[in-house]
Amino acid sequence: MGLSTWRCADLRLVRASRLGIIGAMTCSLRLILASLALAASTGAAHAHASEGGLVLLLPTDLYVGAGAGAVALTVLLLTVLPDRVTLGLFRPLAGPRLPRLPGRVVVSCLSFLVLVALVGIGAVGPTDPQKNLLPLSVWTLFWVGLVTLQGLFGNLWAWVNPWTGPVAVTREITGARAALRLSPRLGHAVAIATWLGFAAFLLVDPAPADPRRLAAVVWGYWVFTFAATLAFGPRWLRRAEAFTVFLGIYARVAILGRRGGRLRAGVPGWRIFAARAPLPGLSVLMVMMLATGSFDGLNETFWWFSVLGLNPLEFPGRSAVVLPNLAGLLVANAGLVAAFALTVWAGLRLARSEMGPGDGFRLFAPTLLPIALGYHVAHYLTSFMVDGQYALLAATDPLGRGDDLLGLGKVYVTTGFFNTLGSMRVIWLSMAGAVVLGHVIAVLLAHAVAVRALGPGRRAALSQAPLAIFMIFYTLFGLWLLASPRGL
Amino acid sequence: MTDQTRKPARTTRRGALKTLGGAAAATTLPLWARYAGAQSAEPIRIGFQVHRTGIGAAYGRWYDRTTMAAVKRINDAGGINGRMVEIVAEDDGTDPKRGAEVVEKFATQHKCDVGFGTLFSHVVIGSSPRAGELKLPYFVVSEGHHVASGMLNRYTLQPGITDVKSQVLAMAPFVKENLGKKVTMIFPDFAFGHDHRDFFTAAMKAAGGEVLEHIAIPPTETSFTRYFPKIPRETEVLYHVMVGPAVLTFVKEMGEFFGPSRPEIFGFIDSLEAVDIRSPGLEFLEGTYFWEGHPRYAQPDQTEFDKAYRAAVGVDENGASVSDPKDVSTYAHMFGCWETLYVIKKGMEAAGYRGPQDRAALIEAVEAMTDMPESFEHPQGPKVFNGKTHQVFGVQYISRVEGGRLNVKHTTSIEEGFYPDEVDYTKQPL
Repeated sequence: MGLSTWRCADLRLVRASRLGIIGAMTCSLRLILASLALAASTGAAHAHASEGGLVLLLPTDLYVGAGAGAVALTVLLLTVLPDRVTLGLFRPLAGPRLPRLPGRVVVSCLSFLVLVALVGIGAVGPTDPQKNLLPLSVWTLFWVGLVTLQGLFGNLWAWVNPWTGPVAVTREITGARAALRLSPRLGHAVAIATWLGFAAFLLVDPAPADPRRLAAVVWGYWVFTFAATLAFGPRWLRRAEAFTVFLGIYARVAILGRRGGRLRAGVPGWRIFAARAPLPGLSVLMVMMLATGSFDGLNETFWWFSVLGLNPLEFPGRSAVVLPNLAGLLVANAGLVAAFALTVWAGLRLARSEMGPGDGFRLFAPTLLPIALGYHVAHYLTSFMVDGQYALLAATDPLGRGDDLLGLGKVYVTTGFFNTLGSMRVIWLSMAGAVVLGHVIAVLLAHAVAVRALGPGRRAALSQAPLAIFMIFYTLFGLWLLASPRGL
Repeated sequence: MTDQTRKPARTTRRGALKTLGGAAAATTLPLWARYAGAQSAEPIRIGFQVHRTGIGAAYGRWYDRTTMAAVKRINDAGGINGRMVEIVAEDDGTDPKRGAEVVEKFATQHKCDVGFGTLFSHVVIGSSPRAGELKLPYFVVSEGHHVASGMLNRYTLQPGITDVKSQVLAMAPFVKENLGKKVTMIFPDFAFGHDHRDFFTAAMKAAGGEVLEHIAIPPTETSFTRYFPKIPRETEVLYHVMVGPAVLTFVKEMGEFFGPSRPEIFGFIDSLEAVDIRSPGLEFLEGTYFWEGHPRYAQPDQTEFDKAYRAAVGVDENGASVSDPKDVSTYAHMFGCWETLYVIKKGMEAAGYRGPQDRAALIEAVEAMTDMPESFEHPQGPKVFNGKTHQVFGVQYISRVEGGRLNVKHTTSIEEGFYPDEVDYTKQPL
């Protein structure tokens, strides 16, 4: 979610079916997709999936077809490209030597102070969520902005997380050491559970942007994590704290990274290619990140409203769909994990590989991350364009007293860029581009990983066949989500 | 207008006499009010229930902008009873359940004097009972007929915007006289569309015309070509009130269906509120007519009141934001926030409002209101308030799309929007 729901207004400009040849193709694929999604969701189905209701003036069918075509073409290209070319794609360029920079504790402490100020503003500042800096910071600057930057430029969270500094200072002062041991048998279970809780707050809670409520949640979570990190040691952050784990995962997609003492830059995914397969819990969380992002889009579509039997034009509000959306979120997560496991298993069987399905899952799960990041960017682009303006206005007047700390003068928030076909085409194609690019990279990365794990040639290609189909369909699904009329 | 609706003047006079202090108190007001203001530096706190998220968010942004502009003007002129006005905004999520919670927060947590603001009918209907229980004056800017229909309560009032029943009734004489007697209606198949269907069909019949066909479109429909052949050939006027994201597609496909020979077309601007009339696909609207609550484009005979209102809210002569000509406002509706705030001000001044203990007196003071002349406080036009039904009545505008802008062709009288009273809230206890 974003604070505002401009995706409703902007998508007015996207258009309904204009069936060309590609349109007809995507239409039938969409029907298959809709039925798959239906089967994977609540099961309480009205069969008339509003196949799109694609309301719009842009020829989105054409774009969706072209996007899926680009991913399919990448798959075909891989069958003729020498494997060394694919592997070479994920070899980063070496930059200057980069020693470990000091100062993380200081930056983290500053970050903590900013958090305290934000929580204070949330607790006593403006009650309007679009004028209060706390919800705007959490849902726009952090959840959209920082997550995207992390996915592009690496582990910024290692610096700006609000715990490592205060924990280090507390330990220094008190001499306290971790008194409890986090059982390794737990793996990343706590982080996964917390992640699901966060996803439910984001997608299911009736008022996640309410400043007072959010202040209590943020502060409560900070205190809990601070205490747990003191008690269990820094391992808590690495294994059990959802945001550190989640953002650490996204840092693997980044263009930049430090390796062998040098700063390196490469195609997103080079760090995944260079790293070992993640632990089981982490790999499950990677698939869940994609599932949650997809459900975030799905639950706003006319299609989802049809499933719930609701009229999207007089939607009774989030408080009326708490249980269905919670069920949908859980089913989407479980469904995608199962579907992905099945896909990987089928690929290994086809290739007659001796690799176990669990190992395969761990190996290939990170290749979904570029898709998850691409969809994250696409899904939130429009709300960021609006709420980013609100964040700036809130920053110049954090207490809602009419201050102008940044000297902006009289500024009005605008959504005019959603009102012309030209600008809307650019916005929509940027969103679609992020989704398609994510899938193209994912296909290339999965192939490279397969070649390295299973050896070059036919075996790697066979192992990728089910995954390639999965990704082409997921491209269609992601683009369909962007083109669908929405009730929110 | 019927006799029943003219009665408010008598009724409200009676009501005013029952009011604490009555007319005598009102006449002593300015001095008294200044005294009260001097006694208390506390601001008047107005709880602003706003659609920040959910399906009403596009309206929420402009309702907020208009509200803030009105409050600034009120405060610049000395506030209410010498006290500054403070807006306490809460997002209702365009969600009836949250709406009720927000109303409760206004009364219990934020210590607001009154609640104000929300648009979507289901939120008003969900919130109003709580306002009644808490005895919090709840001023809505919803346009729905639910206030005047009697389904709400004494503490809920709609003094700043006319209701859909009145709007629709006022259209029928013009449509019949100028566009044609035989009408086909196309509307979304849920409550909003059903209101138009029922009110307009009856009004057309009363005016001597007839509705030949009702074409109800399922709300999730996104392609409309299969509905157009249902329009009877003898149709002289097509009446449409489509809403939702598919509306541009609707207009485009309607243009493709009719080509150059079409019947007269009449619609409600709700379909295209905040949408640029020059958007691609809307060329077909050229020469068609729209109801407008408040003319989006400044007209040649623009009043100084409309001019000042636009300047205060930051809206240009085309109804768009002064900072971005592509950012089209919800001009047909948002004046309701401005005017409602001035009604609250006037009501508080008439009641000598000091604090929550005077909430009942405020209700009675607003119920006692009748004529609201066109003014800086009422830039949309003159109005008459009906204290019994808690609903205001006003002029309506009918505009024609010409050269990609809306030019007003007819302004209805206030009386054309009158209908028999359906409730007398003044009989309910305070």
